[in-house]
Amino acid sequence: MRPDRKLLLLSLPVVLIGGLVATIIGGFVIWRVAAHYFYPLELIAKAAPTQPIRFTHVTHAGQLGIDCTFCHRTVTEERTAGIPAVQQCMFCHAVIKGVEEDKASEIAKLQEYAANDEPIDWIRVHRLPDHVQFTHEVHIRRLPEVLGLGEDFQIQAVCSTCHGKIWEMEEVRQVRALKMGDCVDCHRANNAPTDCVICHY
Amino acid sequence: MAEPQVDVKWSMVVDIDKCTGCQACVVACQSENNVPISTQELYDQRRQMTWIRVERYWEGDFPDVKARYIPIMCQHCDTAPCEPVCPVFATYHNNEGLNVQVYNRCVGTRYCANNCPYQVRFFNFWEPVWPDSLKNQLNPDVTVRSRGIMEKCSFCVQRLRRSERDAAQNGDDRPADDAFDPSHGAFAPACVRACPTDALVFGDANNPNSRVASLAHSDRRYHLLEHLGTEPNVIYLKKIDPEAGDGNHE
Ligand code: HEC
Ligand code: HEC
Ligand code: HEC
Ligand code: HEC
Ligand code: HEC
Repeated sequence: MRPDRKLLLLSLPVVLIGGLVATIIGGFVIWRVAAHYFYPLELIAKAAPTQPIRFTHVTHAGQLGIDCTFCHRTVTEERTAGIPAVQQCMFCHAVIKGVEEDKASEIAKLQEYAANDEPIDWIRVHRLPDHVQFTHEVHIRRLPEVLGLGEDFQIQAVCSTCHGKIWEMEEVRQVRALKMGDCVDCHRANNAPTDCVICHY
Repeated sequence: MAEPQVDVKWSMVVDIDKCTGCQACVVACQSENNVPISTQELYDQRRQMTWIRVERYWEGDFPDVKARYIPIMCQHCDTAPCEPVCPVFATYHNNEGLNVQVYNRCVGTRYCANNCPYQVRFFNFWEPVWPDSLKNQLNPDVTVRSRGIMEKCSFCVQRLRRSERDAAQNGDDRPADDAFDPSHGAFAPACVRACPTDALVFGDANNPNSRVASLAHSDRRYHLLEHLGTEPNVIYLKKIDPEAGDGNHE
C-alpha cells in the first residue's frame, strides 16, 4: 500500500517542529548538566569590573612583591579582608609618581583622591549573598596546614586557593565558583564543620 | 565524612528572683539581632517581633500589689515541637543543643510558629523597614531577614561563633560560660551581657565547671510548660518569696 501523500505532507511540519523542540530541550539539558559539573565555566564569562583607578596587583603584589596582608590588613584576624585606605597608598605614592604616561595618569588620579580626602569607590568583585557569613580568619589560620604548605609559606599561596593568581591579574576577577557546593566540598574533604549555622545565621 | 563531634550544650538559666523587668535584655536583643521595630499597630495585630519579651503579671489588689516578671525567649527545646513540622528542614537541632533556624532555607509555611507552645517564633508578614537614621546600625554579622521568613532567638549564635574564633586564635579552649574574660570578648548572648542584675546566666551545661551547670541543679529550677515534655535548654529558677505562691505558674 502506498502511503497517503496528504498524510505525509501533514506530518512533515510536525516532524520538523518536533525535531527543533527536541534539539532545544536536549541542548538546554546538556548545557545545564555541563554548567553543573564545570560551573567555574560560568565565571569565565563574568567580566572583571572597570575600577575607578586602574590599579593592578601585577605591579604591586607581583613585581613589587608587597605582602597581601600589608594592604588587606584584617584578613588574618577578622571576617573581612579589608580594602586599604587611600592614606595607605600614599605611603609610597606621595613620592612615586610613575614613569610611563599611562601609569602616571592613573597615579595622578590617586593623588587627587588623597588631596580631596575622598575614599575611592572600588567596585566589589567577590560578594556572597547576605545570608552567608564567610570568615577569612579561620581559613587563613587553618588552610596552610590543610593544604600542606609546610612551615615557611607565602600568604598568597593561601589566598590563591580561592582567589586564583591575583598577582598575575591585570584586573581582579572571580575565578572560583564560591557557591555552597564549592564551600561544602572542601569542608567535607577536610573534616571542617558542615552544620548550617556555621555559614548561615 | 562524619560530622566533627561537638561536646557543648548551650544552655541558659533565668533567675526570676533577680529579674526587675527593666527590659534591658529586650533592647539589647533588638539591636544585636536586627529585629525590626514593633509598632503599636503590629502589637494590635499580634504581629510584633520580640525575640525576648518580659511578661508581667500583677499579683494581689491595690495597695498590696506585686509585679512579677518573667523573660521569655526561644527555649531551644531538646524535643522541639517546631522541628518535626517543618517540611523543608529549615529548623533543626544541631549538635551544640541549639534550635537552629536557617533563614534562606525557610519557605514560610508558619507550621513551626503554630506548633510552638511558647509563642517565641515570629513571622515576617512584610518586608521589615527601619528608619533611615537606623540603617547604619544594623549588625553586619546577622542576616537581615526578608518578607515571608520565620525568625526567632538564636542564642546569639553570631556572638558564640565570634568568641569561639577569638579563643581558637589565642589557642584557648572554647569558653565555658559567660564569666567575662577579655580574651573571649563578646561571649554570651546580648541579653545576658545587658542584664544589670545577673538574672540571665549562659554557658555550656555539659561543662561541670560552668555556672549554668551548677545552677541547673538548684532546687528552685523548673521549665516552662514542663508537662509538655519539650525538654527546654532554658532553665528557670523560681522566686524566693514566701508570698510567691507555690510556683506552679503554668
Ligand atoms: C598595594 C596594596 C595591595 C596589595 C599588596 C594587595 N592588594 Fe588586593 N586589592 C587592593 C585594592 C586597592 C583592591 C581593590 C581594587 C580592585 O579590586 O582591583 C584589591 C582587591 C583585591 C581583591 C578583590 C576584592 C573584591 O572586590 O572582591 C582580592 C581577592 C585581592 N585584592 C586579593 C589580594 C591578594 C591575594 C594579594 C596578595 C597576593 C593582594 N590582594 C595584594 C590592594 C592590594
Ligand atoms: C610599596 C609602595 C606602594 C604602595 C603601598 C602602593 N603602590 Fe602603587 N605603585 C608603586 C610602584 C613602585 C608603582 C610602579 C610605578 C611605575 O612603574 O612607574 C606603582 C604603580 C601604581 C599605579 C599605576 C598602575 C599600575 O598598577 O602599575 C597605580 C594606579 C597605583 N600604583 C595605585 C596604588 C593604590 C591605589 C595603592 C593603595 C591601595 C597603591 N598604589 C599602593 C608602589 C606602591
Ligand atoms: C576559603 C576561600 C578564601 C580564601 C582562602 C581567601 N578568600 Fe578572600 N574572599 C573569599 C570570599 C568567599 C569572599 C567574599 C566574601 C563576602 O562576600 O562576604 C572574599 C572576599 C575577599 C575580599 C573583598 C571583600 C573583603 O572581605 O574585604 C578581599 C580583599 C579578599 N577576599 C582578600 C583575600 C586575601 C588577601 C586572602 C589571603 C590572605 C584571601 N582573601 C583568602 C574567599 C576566600
Ligand atoms: C579550600 C578549602 C575550603 C574552602 C573552599 C572553604 N572552606 Fe571554610 N573552612 C575550611 C577549613 C579547613 C576550615 C577550618 C575548620 C576548623 O575549624 O578546623 C574552615 C572553616 C570555616 C568556617 C568556620 C568554622 C568554625 O569553626 O567556626 C566558616 C564559617 C567557613 N569555613 C565558611 C566557608 C564558606 C562560606 C566557604 C565558601 C565561600 C568556605 N568556607 C570555603 C576550608 C575551606
Ligand atoms: C560552608 C558553608 C555553608 C554551609 C555549612 C551551608 N551553606 Fe548554604 N550556602 C552557602 C553559600 C556560600 C551559599 C550561597 C551560594 C550562592 O552564591 O548562591 C549558600 C546558599 C544556600 C541556599 C540557597 C539560597 C538561595 O537563595 O539560593 C540554601 C537554601 C542553603 N544555603 C541552605 C543550607 C542548609 C539547609 C545548610 C545546612 C544543611 C547549609 N546551607 C549549609 C554556604 C554554606
